[in-house]
Amino acid sequence: MQDADVTDGRRSDGAVVLRLVEPPPPPGDHQVELRVAADAVWLSAVRLLAGDLAARADFDVDAVADLRLAVDEACAELMRSALPGSTLTCRFAVCDDRITMTASVPVEKSRTVDTSGFGWRVLRTLADDVEVITGDDSPGGYPALGLRLGALRRIGTP
Amino acid sequence: MTQPEGSAAVTSGPRRPGQTYAHLAPLFARFAEMNTDDNQRDGLRDRLVEAHLPVAQHIARRFAHRGEPLDDLEQVATVGLIHAVDRFAPDRGVDFLSYAVPTITGEVRRHFRDHGWGMRVPRRLKDLHVTIGSAMSELSQRLGRAPTARELALHLRLPQETVLEGLEAANAYRGLSLDRMLTDEDGAPTSVAALGEADAALERVEYREALKPLLAELPERERTIIMLRFFGGMTQSQIADRVGISQMHVSRLLTRTLEQLRDGLGRGS
Repeated sequence: MQDADVTDGRRSDGAVVLRLVEPPPPPGDHQVELRVAADAVWLSAVRLLAGDLAARADFDVDAVADLRLAVDEACAELMRSALPGSTLTCRFAVCDDRITMTASVPVEKSRTVDTSGFGWRVLRTLADDVEVITGDDSPGGYPALGLRLGALRRIGTP
Repeated sequence: MTQPEGSAAVTSGPRRPGQTYAHLAPLFARFAEMNTDDNQRDGLRDRLVEAHLPVAQHIARRFAHRGEPLDDLEQVATVGLIHAVDRFAPDRGVDFLSYAVPTITGEVRRHFRDHGWGMRVPRRLKDLHVTIGSAMSELSQRLGRAPTARELALHLRLPQETVLEGLEAANAYRGLSLDRMLTDEDGAPTSVAALGEADAALERVEYREALKPLLAELPERERTIIMLRFFGGMTQSQIADRVGISQMHVSRLLTRTLEQLRDGLGRGS
């Protein structure tokens, strides 16, 4: 990994690096991680990655488009909650017939995801499963807030 | 793209033969000297803009037939002309047209970049977009579900990489011109029953009072698509079929509309 030498904390360029909140993946999985400033201008990059991974994993075009939208919604929600100037970490795991996206940002304490509004309905409609996750405190003492989405390929394996 | 495309047109093919703009040069000097609070300034500005409108129209026409309506292009070119009139400095020793033509052309180019395919998208990708669009609806009909990129590639006898590239281009280039290429216009009427069910589902959610005014602000087609996807349980392909547009168009409209709704709901809280 490019930043293998970077430990948790604030890097020289100011980006906050969060500890990975998940155990390492079983061998055979494909993992892709993308880190962007927690700013909505980067949503298109996250969508692009989600769409490409799903299309390559042979998801049908509806499922690809839905995953793009779900990832867009989840990351937009997190970016809105993120500490100013912080980084959104977005990880995709492609495994058999399932793609899991885990995204997280550092937030002020007590910040959480609203699970009673339209945004949550959008996520529940578009993804097969949705989970709010809270990670370890990042070094500044700020908690990490995240969302995990799962999408399943419904048609037969290629 | 080193030469502004409009420049040759203006000098070599003016609308009315022999028309020149030289007599307006003294007016620019006067305009530049006027104080911004001079009450004659606006009148003079209007006069300068109007006198040069043929230049703007000419440039707009050079960009016609690229998927954007001529009316829009003329409007954008006129905005460019107004900028040129406002910013032109006659004391720099350049005549107005030499300054205005690149300014107007730049404005039109920016419009394409922001709203259409732009000029950088290869013809090949545009054609591919149309090909994939029709293959998608054909395969959806046959399979009873949306096809995968692999199935599209097999059907079209194209490498899968090419299809993936085409699908990505569809997402990357928003713009009406793109959707118009798929002749979306004569769509099937939306099923009233499907919308009725969606409306009933909306009535059961807690946040309906926050959402309804935002939905009401949306164009009818965007509202229908949101309702059918999130309250009517229809897939994007099914919605595409109902509304009479391509699945790729539904996807783009959803992306844009969800962003609008997020902004609206965010403002309310």
